[in-house]
Amino acid sequence: MKGAELAIGDLGGFLRSLLEKEVVDCLIVPHRVGNNVAYMLVTDPNKIGSGEEIFIPSFSVNAGGLLKGWTIKSKVGLVAKPCEIRAAIELVKLNQIDKESALLISVDCPGTFENQVYADHKDEIGDWIDSAKIEELKGKGLEIREACKICSNMLADVGDIAIARQDGGDKVVVAALTPMGESALNALELSLEDKDIERKDAKAKIAEAAKNNEASLPKFGSIEALEEFLRDCIVCKNCRDVCPVCYCKECFFDQPLGDPVSGDLLNLGAIRGAVGLPANQLFYHLTRVYHVSATCVGCGACADACPKDIPLTRYYPVITKKVQEMFEYVPGKDVEEPIPFTTYEEEELEDRLR
Amino acid sequence: MGEDAKGEFEPKIIGFTCNWCTYASADLAGTSRKKYPPNTRIIRLMCSGRLDPMFVLKALLNGADGVFIGGCHPGECHYIKGNFYARRRIAALRTILKEFGMDNRVRSEWISASEGDKFATVMREMAENIKKIGPNPLRGKVL
Repeated sequence: MKGAELAIGDLGGFLRSLLEKEVVDCLIVPHRVGNNVAYMLVTDPNKIGSGEEIFIPSFSVNAGGLLKGWTIKSKVGLVAKPCEIRAAIELVKLNQIDKESALLISVDCPGTFENQVYADHKDEIGDWIDSAKIEELKGKGLEIREACKICSNMLADVGDIAIARQDGGDKVVVAALTPMGESALNALELSLEDKDIERKDAKAKIAEAAKNNEASLPKFGSIEALEEFLRDCIVCKNCRDVCPVCYCKECFFDQPLGDPVSGDLLNLGAIRGAVGLPANQLFYHLTRVYHVSATCVGCGACADACPKDIPLTRYYPVITKKVQEMFEYVPGKDVEEPIPFTTYEEEELEDRLR
Repeated sequence: MGEDAKGEFEPKIIGFTCNWCTYASADLAGTSRKKYPPNTRIIRLMCSGRLDPMFVLKALLNGADGVFIGGCHPGECHYIKGNFYARRRIAALRTILKEFGMDNRVRSEWISASEGDKFATVMREMAENIKKIGPNPLRGKVL
């Protein structure tokens, strides 16, 4: 792949020039807000910061979801972590984003903290963490999010451009992954040369650690265990609202059958003798895990958003992964690969039906 | 409820069958006087591709002990490819249910309109199998 090496101090200039050379009409990038970072949509190059914000290990929302409905001609550039870019790619497949109007730029992610944890410990955590730093912080009781511990896709390798920060050094490699990415880099007049940011060994190491971490999570095993896990759920549906790949305009669980009131509720009670309230707790989560079973990118936004602190990372990413493994599908990996439910093989899966 | 005269467990099974093959096979089983246990309540869909996996979840959450899904043989769907999509959906749903030990309550079979015998056999096997597994743990729970 073609790419260029930049000093980390030049990242701000790189982002600014995307706007100045009109490669994109606007950028969605992280910016500092007090002790924290959040995303902003920026059209004025002068509003871009140093550029180092893109590596800050704090997770607020999945920025892929911010592009939902971006089907206009004006071009947006999204600079975000791999799970966020992967979500955007799934949304392209779901016809929620026009790919021609989105330049997707993934950045290396070392793992992230919940943004409130980051804000409270900004000075200790800093702008970049590596594995040694993660261990050191763990000793102080500061742990990265569970979703990040079981993530095996942290190195930037999706979207149109990848920004790789090898071992946290003060150099980054900006590499084009698609023709759109390459023409963007050409427009910036960077001197491009062949760059390899594949990093197979590092990826294998991350995948191994992720697998071990996932194996150490508690398993369900029975429907009663799931019932207990979801016991405190108030069916606020925050997990749906923040989910980047949950995109239906009219969710079943906002309609009379899914969110029953008065007479509908009485009817449900009449069928079962008694109905737990708020209604459809288990039905909601089982339906939702099926709905996102192919497309869940495992970002853990659902767990962060849960007001009852239910560790939903142990549910959504873990359960959906079983389905993704069955279809040998990695969501967000390849924009051309169809979502499993929209295609089929004539001979398959017969051992999974009975 | 859910017990016969002797107080033994009688499973309640919900069957979703496609109009063109499996429903017709149930018809054939009936007109040919094939005997099979009456545990399954059939709901006719136009195609197994019409089966929203939520139907299965709802049946299980409302206390059904088993769910049967029947469609045309792959390649013989009345709508050409409805059962190909159904197969992926059912496989995914069962994969999820497996994590909660509920996958063995969901079974699907391809039964053509001429296979009345097969329909009766599958119904018999399914009833026996669910009897062995026991009642749905969610039955009677306040959900």
